[in-house]
Amino acid sequence: MNEKTVVEIRNLTKDYGARGFRTKVLKGIDLAIRSDDFIAIMGPSGSGKTTLLNILSSIDKPTQGFVFLGGKDISKISNQELSKLRRDKIGFVFQDYNLLDTMTLQDNIALPLSLNGISGKTCKEKSEALAGLFGLTEHLQKYPYQLSGGQKQRGAVCRALITEPEILFADEPTGALDSKAGRDLLECFKTVNERNQAAILMVTHDAFCASYAKDVYILNDGTIRCRLSSGGDRKEFYDRIMEMQVSMGGDLS
Amino acid sequence: MTIGKLAFHNFKKSFQNYFSMILSLAFTVLILFNFTNLIYTDTFQALGVKNKDYIDIIIRVISVVLLCFMFFFIWYATNVFLTKRKKEIGIFIFMGLTNQKIGRLYMLEIIMTGVSSLVLGIGFGMITTQLFQMILLKMSAIFVEISFAFAWQPILITAVVYLIIYSIFVLKGYRNIVRSSVLDMISAARQNEYVKTNSLLLMIKAIFGICVLANGYYLAIKESGMNIMGHLLGATVLVIAGTYLLFGGFIPMVFQYLAGRKSFLYQKERNLWINNVIFRMRKNYRTYAMTCVLLTSSVTALAAAFAQKDRYDNIVHFRNTYTFQIVSSLPDLEDEVTKLIEKDNDVAYHGSLPVFFMDSSHFNSYFGHGILAFSDVKKLAKEVGLDFPYEKLEEDELILANHIVLLSLIPDMRNKTVDIDGKTYRQIDETTVPYLGYLQESQDYYIVNDKTYEELLSSYAETTGYTEQNYTYNYRIEDIYNYAASLDELDELVHNTEESYTGRVAIDPNSDDIRWIKVEYSLCVFMFLVFVVASGSILFMKLYNDAFEEKERYAVLKKMGIAEKTLGKAAAKELRCAYALPFILMTVSSFFAVHSLEKMMSTSLKMINFVSVFIIFLFFVVFYLLSVLFYRKNAEI
Repeated sequence: MNEKTVVEIRNLTKDYGARGFRTKVLKGIDLAIRSDDFIAIMGPSGSGKTTLLNILSSIDKPTQGFVFLGGKDISKISNQELSKLRRDKIGFVFQDYNLLDTMTLQDNIALPLSLNGISGKTCKEKSEALAGLFGLTEHLQKYPYQLSGGQKQRGAVCRALITEPEILFADEPTGALDSKAGRDLLECFKTVNERNQAAILMVTHDAFCASYAKDVYILNDGTIRCRLSSGGDRKEFYDRIMEMQVSMGGDLS
Repeated sequence: MTIGKLAFHNFKKSFQNYFSMILSLAFTVLILFNFTNLIYTDTFQALGVKNKDYIDIIIRVISVVLLCFMFFFIWYATNVFLTKRKKEIGIFIFMGLTNQKIGRLYMLEIIMTGVSSLVLGIGFGMITTQLFQMILLKMSAIFVEISFAFAWQPILITAVVYLIIYSIFVLKGYRNIVRSSVLDMISAARQNEYVKTNSLLLMIKAIFGICVLANGYYLAIKESGMNIMGHLLGATVLVIAGTYLLFGGFIPMVFQYLAGRKSFLYQKERNLWINNVIFRMRKNYRTYAMTCVLLTSSVTALAAAFAQKDRYDNIVHFRNTYTFQIVSSLPDLEDEVTKLIEKDNDVAYHGSLPVFFMDSSHFNSYFGHGILAFSDVKKLAKEVGLDFPYEKLEEDELILANHIVLLSLIPDMRNKTVDIDGKTYRQIDETTVPYLGYLQESQDYYIVNDKTYEELLSSYAETTGYTEQNYTYNYRIEDIYNYAASLDELDELVHNTEESYTGRVAIDPNSDDIRWIKVEYSLCVFMFLVFVVASGSILFMKLYNDAFEEKERYAVLKKMGIAEKTLGKAAAKELRCAYALPFILMTVSSFFAVHSLEKMMSTSLKMINFVSVFIIFLFFVVFYLLSVLFYRKNAEI
């Protein structure tokens, strides 16, 4: 446990709606993510998964509680600092890839780095190196429409990783992929995590997908109901997650 | 909900989206209305029938040009509207609406848009007619009281013309929707599959475009003698075609090349905006080319107007070189005339010049000429302070002295030869210095060597039996507006008898038979501004609508955590490019166009070219800033 804490939340609550009609979406959540973590968050629709992800990634603000990103309380820092923090410390992967259709895969991957003012040569080298890692080298000059879903999503992961973030947030990353492409992507996540490139926090409703993580948090009705940790065997972990789903008596998707 | 209610609801809701279109259409209506209104007001009546007729012709010509412009502008605007609306209302297909019903929905919406533009345009037009006329008269230096005259004809004409053109495109849009397949209507979210253009195709287009453009430029500045009209026409066609090819070929090629050089591309926002420019260029190159052509023509038109004005001023100056000119068969009248004039006026300068006239049968031309002796002209030029740059003239040489014309299509005729009575002379120069003032306007003169003059005079006398040469006595008075005071004294000299004759010419400085040129000039300045604003608004409208398409892309970038400031910068650079490219090409093209005009009008128009380009620059800066503002708002960055 000597890895440093990347993100920490304490007693996080989030309300939506006008006064008198407030709905509590998150009801006091505590969570600390360390730099070698690979966490999956599961939960049924409306359990607050996406809200939690949005708050963690500083897109949304909590009603109460604290979010520490890179040791800083994000509710207390300026917008400028926040966007710098977001730029340097966080990477995002979305369900629908969100690659820009106007540029080649390589341009997409290099974009965050070049926007940060890193030299063109470095951007080029890093994008090529990452693409090599994810098996995309021969696709670099293609446009998104020329790529398969899996290739696009791996490209999106490359783009998220190119700034060397401390944590990668993934929102249903396999949601739009077929099972083979989904497996490939999760393997990539695992590799990234094992190489200590970044901590990963993934929101998913798929037990199979979650079984690739080291820890699974099950969220229900605004609170974390339980936490499962992988013993190392993915199949066994998958079974345990399924059991938990059954025992909680509900569909977690 | 009925279709009508739905359409009204849509129109109300998306009013903001079509704001740019309504504004631009209203602007064209306003301009057309203002020009039509000029025909029906009696503002120019004060300039006399002849001037009023000329001005009416000019206004009619301009109205036709405006009409053509309106046609294309409406075509363009409705097309942009159609593409955008089709995607948005296509969704109603899922609610069971047929193509016909969707088409009707579209028609109703676009009719509301069109009618709002018409009402706005005519409304503002009515408010601005006074102002418009005032500025116009002020610029033309015409001082007439403007009365507020309300005429219903211009309103009717503008409305009818606009509505006819507009309905054509409304129906075109309806037909387009009715004939669309379901897939076309709902493919709004389809990914863009063609970002890059095939490099080989681009290369061919680029090379071809550069050749065509260079050829056009060459034709424009080439010495072309009598073929000038043909060459100019050729140059115009080539430059227009070249401009389209350049925007469709060369410029995308350059950008694609830049995008391929990664170490260049990956510099700050470049990655974002250069890729976006490439993507947009495919869709927008026609707009850029059209803007560029429109601007080039407006600069040329402005330069032509200035050249005309310049000519006008010169003609007025030419005429006013002398206030009185006495032509007589009697020598030595100079002192007598001076005394007569000085009774009522002060003489500013005066000089006399002997001359004799030979009719066309003595020349190899259709016109007769006056003959002047070299040293006589030299003496006169010195007395009245006119430029006379010639040292000497050989016996077989001559100089043509003629008048300034408004528009000459005949190029410089230096070194041509002239036959007088079978003998050949070399014409070493052609001058428009008004040695003989008004007399030089109706007649051309040859200045010849003194000896030649004597020879010609005696041989002329032999063949015609008419020995006398004439003498011209030329006077300019201090107060030219007081010329009438001396008329009675001078008229005493006028006679025509067997022995001698004397005639006089007096110049009325208030004479305004060519005042219409000034009006034409002011109208041209207006047209210039109209077209500059129109070009700006075409680009603005295009970018305004593009912004909505970009919304999704910017949302992705924002989700990735990219700061709005960075996105704003990238967008600003992209927009700058959209305005700069047509501007730069226009600057180059206008240089050549104005250069050819300079040759035709033999006057220097460099300054006008520079100033007009600078004015366009200023307008474009304003449009650019507005674009950035609205773009960021529409794309939500």
